[in-house]
Amino acid sequence: MTALLRSGIVGSGTVFALGALALAFGWHIAVGAKVIPLSVVIDALATPDPREFDHMVIRDLRLPRALFAVLVGGALAVAGALMQGTTRNPLAEPGLLGLLSGASFAVVMAVGVFDVANPALTPLIAAIGALGAASIVWLIATSAPGGATPLTLVLSGAAVTAFLGALISIANLLDEDSFETLRVWLTGTLAGRSTGVMLWALPWLIAGMGVALVVARQVTALSMGDETATGLGVDVTRLKALVLFSVVALTAAAVAIAGPMGFVGLIVPHAARLIFGHDYRVIVPFCAIFGATFLLVADIAARMVLSPVEVSTGIVTALLGAPFFVWLVRARL
Amino acid sequence: MTGTTWQRLDGPVTFALPTRALTVLVLLVATNIAVLVASFMFGSYPIDLPGVLATLVGNAPSETAETVVWNLRFPRSLAAMMTGALFALSGAVLQNITRNPLADPSLVGVSQGAGFAVVAAMIAFPDMGSVWRPALAFAGALAVAALIQWIAMQRTGGATMRFILTGIGVAAFISAGTNALLTYGDIDRALAALGWLAGSIHAARWGEVWSLAFCLALCAPILIWAARPMTALQFGPDIATGFGVAVRRNRIALITLSVALAAFAVAAVGPLGFVGLVAPHIARRIARAGVGLHLALTGATGALMVSLADLLGRTLFAPVQIPAGLMTALIGVPLFVWLILRSQARTQL
Repeated sequence: MTALLRSGIVGSGTVFALGALALAFGWHIAVGAKVIPLSVVIDALATPDPREFDHMVIRDLRLPRALFAVLVGGALAVAGALMQGTTRNPLAEPGLLGLLSGASFAVVMAVGVFDVANPALTPLIAAIGALGAASIVWLIATSAPGGATPLTLVLSGAAVTAFLGALISIANLLDEDSFETLRVWLTGTLAGRSTGVMLWALPWLIAGMGVALVVARQVTALSMGDETATGLGVDVTRLKALVLFSVVALTAAAVAIAGPMGFVGLIVPHAARLIFGHDYRVIVPFCAIFGATFLLVADIAARMVLSPVEVSTGIVTALLGAPFFVWLVRARL
Repeated sequence: MTGTTWQRLDGPVTFALPTRALTVLVLLVATNIAVLVASFMFGSYPIDLPGVLATLVGNAPSETAETVVWNLRFPRSLAAMMTGALFALSGAVLQNITRNPLADPSLVGVSQGAGFAVVAAMIAFPDMGSVWRPALAFAGALAVAALIQWIAMQRTGGATMRFILTGIGVAAFISAGTNALLTYGDIDRALAALGWLAGSIHAARWGEVWSLAFCLALCAPILIWAARPMTALQFGPDIATGFGVAVRRNRIALITLSVALAAFAVAAVGPLGFVGLVAPHIARRIARAGVGLHLALTGATGALMVSLADLLGRTLFAPVQIPAGLMTALIGVPLFVWLILRSQARTQL
């Protein structure tokens, strides 16, 4: 009975979520310095005409940005969902646990200090940084008395973020010229990113997303506790290694495209869990859709709220995410 | 407490003198003075020790030396020491009332609140004099402290942990708000605000020094008064009530004091992280003392931390100046991690 009811929710949820995503996508392309009617947007996507100026703007400028938002939002939300499921920690998120700052630190060092500007290497470098930061945060939190509680994890994440942030600022001060391009990227932005970076990040994103979908079933078991999962026949160590790979790959792809974008991985999984319960086979794909929709809307807000000035998308996600974090602390801990 | 006990009149009058703590305090003050003198000597215009001493007593070897020492290095170093003391004392008071060894004005958003208020005013009213900064910073910081308290107090149990986590969330929110203001504001004003926000002391002149000194003089008697309720409150609200301390009233007064200390420091040099967190612990490590003496030790430690951070920051990568706020973060974070690793607080949470 519950299974039937659930499948009913999932069925109508899919239609609703995809509809919302399509709507946000169209709206995202329509708004901007020049408002383009939705009908023209659909025309430009369906039958592009290179002689139409609006069509060119949409195809060359606005469509890539909307695609970035979809990819980054989906990746971060799925990474957050996996982290929350495997650590059984409602506050787990790539940003709060230091992965985003680790990835951006590695990229900053590579580009700013060692002059590695090859977009093909950026996701790999970001992945190494994210993995390193995650290991350090995890090591600190587990060695603390009481183990890796939400508090110790968030505190060690904050410590690592502060330290790497200071190092990034110092590197920035020592070499202002090469940081000119990185400075905006460091606040988390979807503006002016090149399609080349996205193409190189895509394999990472697909790999991470694929692993996430495959292990989702076992993550559900793991979210009930290590012992329960072992009892249900899950190889816990192997599963955790796979989840770690997926989280790092997704985070690295997101950071390579858009820089550190906080709190996306915190809000979206909680919303998905609220609607669809605790089955990660359902949560993971819906997090991808919801995350994409969320970041599209956040990016619309970033462009519209203070128009004509544009704020960084990362600022908008933090402004939306931080109150939610405070609410979570109050309600869940 | 290690110390010597003095007895007079064959016992009726005894007096415990915490010799170790007092010695350490004297040593700290001496080190502070040594760093102060060192900060006069080093920099892009090096002056040797006799030259510095001659400049200080009034017969400078050259006009440049006189300008450099009296107009640039002296106010800057004094400002560094005083902001260090203010942040450290703010952290000590906050840790005492929340009974949380990880409380720090910059971690829980109090400094960010002060920063937001000042940046908002800098962008909205660019002609505003820096006289108004302390008041604005105080208002912003107080609002944030009240907000965190209000949110954390909504439910009973585990209040310490929620206080810190709530503070981290509020800090993230306010930082994002400040960043949005910076993008929205005029580029020149935003750049001025940005330099101030990095926690940099390089702009400090005698004006800042006097306003900091005024704030310290204002807070010192309150701190002396605060030592008594703080001694009682460190045993927890129940025992403090048993000692006859009005817990609620004193808590509010002490939080206001802590917020004021941090806000004045932020108003002068911008938010400096981790000093308020780490200095009280270092002071406790090097000498055990009662609350009053511990506050004095904490102030001296904080002063030493920030003046050293400023000196290193401006000489290490010269001619590039690393803001003191970044140096304190680099020094403070490892100590913060060490605190997480061995904190006994976990058992309370």
